[in-house]
Amino acid sequence: GAGEKEGKSWKRFQSYKGEGAFPKEAESLRVTVDRKAQTIILPMHGFAVPFHINTIKNVSKNDEGDYTYLRINFQTPGQLAGKKDDTPFEDPDATFVRSVTYRSLDGHRFDTISKQITDLKKEVNKREQQKKEMAD
Amino acid sequence: MSATQFDRIYHGLAPEIGKLRVANSGMAWKGEENEAVTAIPTDDIKWAQWIRVARDFQLRVGLKDRRRETFDGFTREDHDKLASLLKQHFGVTLEVKDVTFKGWNWGVTDIQGQDLAFLVSNKTAFELPLKQVANSNIAGRTEVSLEFVPLGSGGKKASRNAPDEMVEIRFYVPGIQTKLRGSDA
Repeated sequence: GAGEKEGKSWKRFQSYKGEGAFPKEAESLRVTVDRKAQTIILPMHGFAVPFHINTIKNVSKNDEGDYTYLRINFQTPGQLAGKKDDTPFEDPDATFVRSVTYRSLDGHRFDTISKQITDLKKEVNKREQQKKEMAD
Repeated sequence: MSATQFDRIYHGLAPEIGKLRVANSGMAWKGEENEAVTAIPTDDIKWAQWIRVARDFQLRVGLKDRRRETFDGFTREDHDKLASLLKQHFGVTLEVKDVTFKGWNWGVTDIQGQDLAFLVSNKTAFELPLKQVANSNIAGRTEVSLEFVPLGSGGKKASRNAPDEMVEIRFYVPGIQTKLRGSDA
């Protein structure tokens, strides 16, 4: 029906319109969460790269020796593990960033970041769910 | 000949702040803590780029031996001043590189010189220096992973408040399968 069709269309989203709105914390060259913009900012060889929460699938964390590893997994087509294969993509034939892994000696901070990302993801999913229910 | 000085400028990815001086004879960066000076004589300067990075704006200088030096920490307001200095002293145009802030994880990869660039809507999202890639792998035909040389491998161990170290990135590249699927149709 119409509802199903609607669920399968790709909804436009954007982290920032320009660099002016970019948070100062991104300067630290560390993973940061900008809750207001619903965005995770990843340091990549000097760049601060925003990723909207909608692009993120989940995060995982593990300790190895002195280091803590934080892995951010993204939504991409062709993921066997994904239960719903009907996730819409604007351009399924593009190249996707699938995951990025960081390491740090500060495991406590990675704990916090991991929790912040998971919470933000939950919050957005919940809001999305509420919108759907309202539409019904 | 007088020199123009920019304060609070970083060299490369190092955490140290310093001063960058630009004069007719070339440019030179000097750190606040160390006495070491990075000097680039006028004859070596071939091109210059202006790009938004994590630490505000970056001046990227291309050298004649195909190396390049980067300086972070410029403000948006520095652009015009820097552009006219580079023109005046070195006859070089400061080229502006557009960066995307859309927050999308899909785009196009492009080899640009010694970097692998990821472009979203024709704008740069990030660049990865291929020199830093320690290992790469193709898994399941559609996934490419790049592992980076650990920064701590130089013997000196990173501190707790060091920047987060990117150790791996994985790309989903549907290329091959798309072609097969396309030929079926």
